[in-house]
Amino acid sequence: MDAIEVIDLTKRFGDNIAVNGIRFRVREGETFGFLGPNGAGKTTTIRMLTGMTGITSGRALIHGHDIVRDTLAAKRLMGVVSETSNVYDELSAWDNLIFTGRLYHLGKAEIQRNARDLLDTFGLYERRHEPAEGFSKGMKRRLTLAMGLVNSPEVLFLDEPTSGLDVQSRRLIRDVVQDLARENVTIFLTTHDIEEANVTCDRVAIINQGTIAAIDAPEKLKQTFESLQSVEVSFDSARPGLLEALRMLPQVNDVRKEGDKFRLYTADPPEVLGSLCVFAKEQNLRPISVTTRGPSLEEVFIRLTGLSVGMKKKVGGTDAGLV
Amino acid sequence: MPGWFEEISCDLGAAWAIARKDMKIYYIKPSILVSSLLFPFVMFLAFAIGRNAPAGTLIPGLLAITLLFSASSIEPVSIPIERRTKTFDRLIAAPVSIRAIVLGASLSGAVFASAIGVATTAIGLIAFRTGIIHIVALLAGIALTSLCFSTMGTLFAAYRTENVGEVMSLLNLVRLPLLFISGVFIPFASMPAWGQSIAFLSPLTYAHDLILFAFDGTTLFGPVADTLVLVLAIVLFQAVGALLYRRSRE
Repeated sequence: MDAIEVIDLTKRFGDNIAVNGIRFRVREGETFGFLGPNGAGKTTTIRMLTGMTGITSGRALIHGHDIVRDTLAAKRLMGVVSETSNVYDELSAWDNLIFTGRLYHLGKAEIQRNARDLLDTFGLYERRHEPAEGFSKGMKRRLTLAMGLVNSPEVLFLDEPTSGLDVQSRRLIRDVVQDLARENVTIFLTTHDIEEANVTCDRVAIINQGTIAAIDAPEKLKQTFESLQSVEVSFDSARPGLLEALRMLPQVNDVRKEGDKFRLYTADPPEVLGSLCVFAKEQNLRPISVTTRGPSLEEVFIRLTGLSVGMKKKVGGTDAGLV
Repeated sequence: MPGWFEEISCDLGAAWAIARKDMKIYYIKPSILVSSLLFPFVMFLAFAIGRNAPAGTLIPGLLAITLLFSASSIEPVSIPIERRTKTFDRLIAAPVSIRAIVLGASLSGAVFASAIGVATTAIGLIAFRTGIIHIVALLAGIALTSLCFSTMGTLFAAYRTENVGEVMSLLNLVRLPLLFISGVFIPFASMPAWGQSIAFLSPLTYAHDLILFAFDGTTLFGPVADTLVLVLAIVLFQAVGALLYRRSRE
């Protein structure tokens, strides 16, 4: 059985369609990234899947439980970590966890055991009796994640879990998420951090303007965008007009200057490498470094969401027939 | 264990957890406790100064007003704040029914107002040697009035806003006129016919009548009718509150 099944899910706010008939499945134990630009429908989708907002049409099932018809059974299986660190500032870290455990109808002993373990895992045990209002942003985020795990959920919804955090907190949260994935917890993750999705997720969906633009494993998504391969070159000296000259090379779709490097986008890196050697010789330039690179997930994301940055945008949007 | 029993048990457990959380965060604070205890004292002075009536006879009306204000004042403040801080989302995301959320929020106000009501009564008894004829009626009056008006406060907080002022303005549009149409300031018998017709619709009329019965035995509708109307008002406010919160989620 799939952990999450979404069938033609739609959400309207008046005349505005925030989410338009999306459909996907998330397998049990899978870490599923949900990416999209601001306003694409990520948070609305997560709110519908967690029963926090109504559904205009379509269905969402959590381990077979319909979130509309069988709301409480579906909610018992999930943990929700919102984008905002929504802890009760006036309560201590301990009381925040105890209260959350009570909302999930856990027994007293189980709540206390889970609270102790989670506070320890997230490095908050020593400060468990202090009100959360005195906590740093990172500590509040860790506490929010701990509260999302107090019921040992089978499906964990994480909305921007590491956004704006220091390196230490980011790493801790990322490690905990990876541990949960190893324990077969299904993770539904929305993030702006494409690299985070790239290293964490088994599959990602890219949503844009309320519809799914692509769903696949990060590496497979990258492979579908041959034109996003590139050759990165740095010369020993910079000359005016070099950028334009590089653009004229055969098989080069576009060139971007990134610091002291030029990035030449192409579907055929070996051909461009050859042209580049001839070009350097003709122009009396000495390449300091040359690297061929596949497309990054960020570039795939930018191409799919139409947020073209220094790219020649193709009519029709995608190179491959994705969704 | 039957499904319906487990459901009710879960609802009650969650409601009590929410009530305890609210009491800890919003009610058991020195500033709230002091101002809530001062409120009846100030109201007493406003009532008593310049009037010939024995001070002890003012206690039932004073108690009814105290219960109305202390029960209905905190949730219309705390719920918009929790919407702003997104902590209200925690309740919505948890496996807790909307009716349990409404009941929990109302319970915290009811417990707090009942405690303030008991303290007000105790001070009245000690200071003015006011007698109580029916202690059960008094306790029922305090508990039911508190729950009725705390539910009313929770119901108004269903208005989907993060702005406390908007909820309080709406609430006061209803709460303040209740004082004048419920026989607290103006005796029921002295009201014009249209005033009496409106008074029948106000739960405060029945709350005041029940409390008055407890103190001196006089009653317009009888304690059973008063109790039934208050219970009906609580059920109605709870049901409408749950409906409005469910709609505000759409």
